[in-house]
Amino acid sequence: MTSETGTAAPAVELIGIGKRFGAVVANDGVDLVLRRGSVHAVMGENGAGKSTLMSMLFGLLEPDAGEIRVDGKTVRFTGPLDAIAAGLGMVHQHFRLFDSMTVAENVVYGAEPRRRGRLDRAAAAARVRELSDRYGLETSPDAVVGTLSAGARQRVEILKALHREARILILDEPTAVLTPSEVDSLFAVIRRAADDGSTVVIVTHKIHEVLAVSDEVTVLRDGRVTGRFATASATGEQLVHAMTGREIEVVQNPRSGTPGEVALSVEDLSVTDAGAGVTHIDAVSLTVRRGEIVGVAGVSGNGQHELVAAVLGTIPATAGTVRLLGEDVTVRPVRERRALGLAVIPEDRRGEGSAVTMSVAENVTLGHHRSAPIGATRGIRRGWMSLRAERSRARDLIRDYDVRTSGEQQPIGSLSGGNAQKVVIARELSHEAPVLIAEQPTQGVDVGAIESIHGRLLEYRAGGGAILLVSHEISELLALADRVLVMYAGRIVAELAGAEATTARIGAAMAGAAAHDAPAAPDPVLDPEGPRA
Amino acid sequence: MSTTERPPVPSADAPPARHRAARLLGAALRHPAVVPIGAVVLALLIGAVIILAAGLNPITAYAAVIDGALNPDSLDYTFSVWGFICGMALAAAIPLRMGEFNLGGNGQLVLGGLTAAVIAGYAPLPGPIVIPLAVLGAAVVSGAFGALSAPLATRFGIPIIISTLLLSPVAVAVGSYLVRFQIGESGSAVAQTPRLPEGARMWALGDLSYSNVGLLIIIAMMVVFWLVDTRSAVGYELRVVGANRRFGAYGGVRVGRLALGAMVAAGAAAGIVGAIIVMSSPYRLIDGALISPGYTFAGLAAALLAGGRPALIPVTAILFTVLQVGGAAMERSADVPRQLSDVLQGVVIVVLALRTVLDQRRSERSSA
Repeated sequence: MTSETGTAAPAVELIGIGKRFGAVVANDGVDLVLRRGSVHAVMGENGAGKSTLMSMLFGLLEPDAGEIRVDGKTVRFTGPLDAIAAGLGMVHQHFRLFDSMTVAENVVYGAEPRRRGRLDRAAAAARVRELSDRYGLETSPDAVVGTLSAGARQRVEILKALHREARILILDEPTAVLTPSEVDSLFAVIRRAADDGSTVVIVTHKIHEVLAVSDEVTVLRDGRVTGRFATASATGEQLVHAMTGREIEVVQNPRSGTPGEVALSVEDLSVTDAGAGVTHIDAVSLTVRRGEIVGVAGVSGNGQHELVAAVLGTIPATAGTVRLLGEDVTVRPVRERRALGLAVIPEDRRGEGSAVTMSVAENVTLGHHRSAPIGATRGIRRGWMSLRAERSRARDLIRDYDVRTSGEQQPIGSLSGGNAQKVVIARELSHEAPVLIAEQPTQGVDVGAIESIHGRLLEYRAGGGAILLVSHEISELLALADRVLVMYAGRIVAELAGAEATTARIGAAMAGAAAHDAPAAPDPVLDPEGPRA
Repeated sequence: MSTTERPPVPSADAPPARHRAARLLGAALRHPAVVPIGAVVLALLIGAVIILAAGLNPITAYAAVIDGALNPDSLDYTFSVWGFICGMALAAAIPLRMGEFNLGGNGQLVLGGLTAAVIAGYAPLPGPIVIPLAVLGAAVVSGAFGALSAPLATRFGIPIIISTLLLSPVAVAVGSYLVRFQIGESGSAVAQTPRLPEGARMWALGDLSYSNVGLLIIIAMMVVFWLVDTRSAVGYELRVVGANRRFGAYGGVRVGRLALGAMVAAGAAAGIVGAIIVMSSPYRLIDGALISPGYTFAGLAAALLAGGRPALIPVTAILFTVLQVGGAAMERSADVPRQLSDVLQGVVIVVLALRTVLDQRRSERSSA
């Protein structure tokens, strides 16, 4: 797809784009050329300026400097409607769909076929069928969007853009919510659209995806372009180097040594929400030994989070037992479980893992505030805290974990996601608890920081720690876990020893034993007689 | 569609001065002090409109407020009111620190006053014993009453803001009944207890007639709250839970116990204020006299305006003290009804509540 440029101007040219937010330079002199009929990957770490650049291309932000040309003509978008009119379409990371409406209604929303002033449902459904056939986007026009899997919803978003005659499609982190098989079919759709003459931009930080699907790559770092590659001649190392400015060592669990005694054991644990009539986890059993990392794979929302919450004690177990270092803690409060030796890196950093309005120092203190050096467990100082010790401990951790902050008094909410994550990890690892649960520990974290977090988890393991690692990134599980459990619809459906865990096997299990791609409901594609509006 | 041949936007290197000014203004408007101060200014403006509508001069009226409150002759009285408002602000601020609202200050205040009236009026003990005993008794009874709301919230899911609001009139009514029919002074036209014996009255401060040692007790309570808030483990946990309840629970804070402790402390603070009022001039519990000055809601407003921060409460309490004390003076000299100060307090609370709601909306939208 890299040859036929010919005489026509490129589909999109961004020339010398600059954008700043206060003192922060988000984009500085960025040039980007998207050739018609090509798939162009824009990659970079968090905060590199990818999203800002795409927001300007789609008219959500106005550039401070530079010029945007579509089909050779200079354009100035004052809002997304201008961009849509110019032939652009964007699929956002978080879907913007009406859950209670059908696929067809969602697709045509904003540009509806009308008959006598009212929505022409038959024409809408026909339009959806026509588009899905042309691009190979399997969907059923009459299915209600709320019942669809993430992959199917994403197809609806893409159809929405195609319905508006988008010739330039921007996909923002499109694979974040997909199973591996859904990723494969998405890539097939992208390929087909490009072959059909559309131009596709895919924004991502995943190197293997860039190599798999794109024709050309532009890499951003700190708001500037640090690399342009033709994918065919680029290597993963080159891309990483352009993204981070340095070489990254790949961290890999040596899988050596024999695990020690069982530190965490969960037997037939169930969590049911009686009010909503939902079973979140169903008779889950697992053990984690000292010196072992047990991975939990699965598409988000298959019970992983409830498993973690029930082990920590923030939600009650309906049945089953949780044993920590041999003690039954099923009905014990969180504080006692933590005191016995449990630390947790939670998935929801802003909602559960931190208090955004409080300082870095205060955030890193929780759980350490009653023990030395900050608190005292006995004597006259019992129950009181040393603010000096709190600050100096926070400064030490900021240094050790390389947290970029203006000081320990800065509110954690004003740090970047990756830096805030480092604060959470610093707090939990410094408990030196025998059992650590790490839920999506590298979510929103840069490539360079991922490496150091992975390194720390392996050190923890080498030091005799028992780690339960919940992750949606198969590559992370393959790199770190001694064993991988796969959760689907609240159950553990597969257990793979490190050697036999492969992307294909984990992916197959993640998609569910019955080949459903939705955790909530069967895929409407497999069920042509599905719900009718 | 705005496909034009117009040259692109000006370069980022030379932002027009107008933009910079706008940015500075934007940053200034986001300062955390803007909303509270804005609330006060707005309240004063609305008050001025109301006074104008009544055909009176707002400047004369506000001057009367300031003069009535800060006139050297009345400072003694103003300070005693400031103390009561600070005390009631504590009763609101301690739970507010963990994100809970104590609207039961009236009931806690009355039970404290009642307990003090009974102990100081009937215990045949010498002053140095009976006075602390009455204060302590008031703290215990009101603390226990406040504590009721905590298990109601943790066990039965009844929000503290609701249970405190609904339990309070019960306590007020019980107090009223006892003063009218059980421990009241017989033969008096007003429902009130007999005057406390000389030895059971709060110690005076020099020759001041309103401010007494009770004021020092309240200041001491505020210092203790400040110390606990800033440098104790419990205070840290209160602030963590107030900032993010789920974060606290995840970190092992026993939120239920914390709520119990906060409500005991809040009730006790209100009870002590009640005891001090009863043991101050005119040294008796008069039916309705603890509630009618409106210390509870002035204290709540001061606590809200301070965002629960202990260091700010003395300052915000000054504002409501001036309104409270000066309001009566304004009625006398400028003929503006004192209820205007209630209106001003109300406006301040509404603006602050609006801020909370808008903040929530905004954070929901940004996370959606």
